[in-house]
Amino acid sequence: MSYNLDFSVVVDRLPELLVACLATIGLAIAGMALATVIGVLGVLARRSRFKLLRGLVIGFVEAIRNTPFLVQIFFIFFALPQIGVRLNPTATAIIALALNGGAYAIEIIRGGVDSIPKGQVEAGKALGLHPAQIFRHIILKPALRAVYPSLTSQFIMLTLTTSVCTSIAAYELTSVAQKIEADTFRSFEVYFSITLLYLIISSLMMGVFALISRVSFSYPVK
Amino acid sequence: MATIGPNELYFLMQGLKWTLALTIIGFIGGGVFGLAVALARTSEAPFARRFTAGYIAIFQGTPLLMQLFVVYYGVALMGFNVDAWVAVAVAFTLHASAFLGEIWRGGIQAVPKGQTEAANALGLHYVSRMKDVVLPQALRISLPATIGFLVQLIKGTSLAAIVGFVELSRAGQIVSNQTFRPLTVFAIVGIIYFLICWPLSLWGASMERRLQTASR
Amino acid sequence: MMRNSMKFGRRAVLALAAAAAVLPFIAPVDAFAGTVEEAKAKGKVVIGIQGDNSPWGFVNSSGVQDGLDADIGKAFAEYIGVKAEFVPLAVANRIPALLTGKVDVLFATMGMTAERAKTIQYSKPYAGNVLSVYGPKDKKIAGFDDLTGMAVGVPKSSAMDTTITAGAGSKANILRFDDDAANIQALIAGQVEAVGGNQFYGDRLNAAAAGKYETKFDLTTLYNGAGTRPGEKDWNETINAFIDKIKADGELTKIYAKWMKREVPAFPDSLPEIPFTVK
Repeated sequence: MSYNLDFSVVVDRLPELLVACLATIGLAIAGMALATVIGVLGVLARRSRFKLLRGLVIGFVEAIRNTPFLVQIFFIFFALPQIGVRLNPTATAIIALALNGGAYAIEIIRGGVDSIPKGQVEAGKALGLHPAQIFRHIILKPALRAVYPSLTSQFIMLTLTTSVCTSIAAYELTSVAQKIEADTFRSFEVYFSITLLYLIISSLMMGVFALISRVSFSYPVK
Repeated sequence: MATIGPNELYFLMQGLKWTLALTIIGFIGGGVFGLAVALARTSEAPFARRFTAGYIAIFQGTPLLMQLFVVYYGVALMGFNVDAWVAVAVAFTLHASAFLGEIWRGGIQAVPKGQTEAANALGLHYVSRMKDVVLPQALRISLPATIGFLVQLIKGTSLAAIVGFVELSRAGQIVSNQTFRPLTVFAIVGIIYFLICWPLSLWGASMERRLQTASR
Repeated sequence: MMRNSMKFGRRAVLALAAAAAVLPFIAPVDAFAGTVEEAKAKGKVVIGIQGDNSPWGFVNSSGVQDGLDADIGKAFAEYIGVKAEFVPLAVANRIPALLTGKVDVLFATMGMTAERAKTIQYSKPYAGNVLSVYGPKDKKIAGFDDLTGMAVGVPKSSAMDTTITAGAGSKANILRFDDDAANIQALIAGQVEAVGGNQFYGDRLNAAAAGKYETKFDLTTLYNGAGTRPGEKDWNETINAFIDKIKADGELTKIYAKWMKREVPAFPDSLPEIPFTVK
């Protein structure tokens, strides 16, 4: 017997797959936005005067960065209901992505903030700026600009990680692919095509990130 | 309701064995091929450079889960009749070779050009230039990133669970389903991963600090 | 890692080109699947089995394959005089593992459906499985209509998935999990309000929360057969002869009593659109 590749099953269900691509992109964007918020808040907390708060942030970052995403998402979906926290698959996926991406964002942004020369902050103080203004304009913005490449490559990883959300039955590209695979048994053809779709999605995102960088960070460095 | 006893912990340890086996195979295989990728990526042959750039872009631009699926079903279609775990090990090796190749490329390019020029002036040929001058420094520079990737790889092996492989995460799911204590079981599984990954992360971070101070 | 985002366009094109370049190498494939004779020569038969579907097929706490399918698989290996090597599979990759030659035969709780019969060759049935919808006692679920608006869990690409999708696909919110373990866990965690399951879900749910869940309505009775690759007469005939033998000499009754704790059901002589033999 021989096995002949047949990609027609993929072509037939392309509309379904494209809708699923949008769902994947939606999950990714929601995850990134929340991760950025967690990142900035986390850095603020990491710089706070309260030791406990600082310790909590460090614990959170280390716990997330040293355990697999799959275990994290299982924990939220299957274990948290045991203590009364029940989230549907989509909400679980977004929160898991946000927490995971957020932990990395805290570390990345912190690195950027640490790289801001002390003199710059003192210059701000001398100009009579409010601490909030100093953080926003003198620390955060240049820091974000400095870490933009690492942050966006982390976000590409986050986008690719959305595929793991299939294991809690969230609606996204991989789960739709598995449905098609189950209907057609054309495993290789389906997964090969889906891999290409992910490659296109991540390339598009890199393009958008490059565009954002050109538009918002266009002023010259030094 | 069943409790979590020595039997269940033993079962988790069986899973952990596979997690570690997959990590070690992926890291060693990925290291060997990754070195080749890094050398090709920094070679003077434009074709080799472009081919490896594409190779790296594919593995960095697609989900690890898809890479597992495609290799898992693909090796069989190519006519190799191999065990499931061999297919999974091949997938992790390819994945690791792309990431390590890119990390080490960065390391090679971070070695000052003058070193290569000096080696050339001394009449060293390519192999000796790389082996004795550039690579030792490049690997030292990339050590923190290499350790960081090792942690990623350990966590990444959990995805083998979705292909039906009973490693630590899937063992956790099975035990959780037998004992109906998901909170405890997934906490234990998480702690096991943490105990393996955290020391590595700390080591990588301290290595990075030491390199930074040294270069100042 | 992707330090220079400006170069993304060229990179992506390169990656796509490289991906396309490997395609021709994997197009047509020759036979790689073993025959019964080859298995005998090698001294082992590679059997695909479920890794986590107690009491059908599962890995016990000593890490050894156990269950009804495992016992039948062992008996089959003995019948052809070789060693049994088990490959634990998930529900979703059973058929691909067979078709791509990763296993010689499936004793993997393969419910016999007309749709699957288009892809694989079934043997005569050797076990029966009543599929039902399970839910909490305090919810009224008497038929597909009552599933309207409910989150209903099923194992991905199982017969429960197919039947419930056909019956309530447009009305219910069907969540497809990797396997029975995740499906049952989702019901217990309250992530779904009902699940489609086999006749053992009752016992497992009772163990989790005594008296909380019950069978709501039966979907269908599914017979399990061994699966082989289409057109491979040698495997199919050998397995059918083996199944006839264990039905006649009481071995199936023994294995059934051990794992199913019930009588062997009456098996149909034929099923619509599901041939038991290679044509």
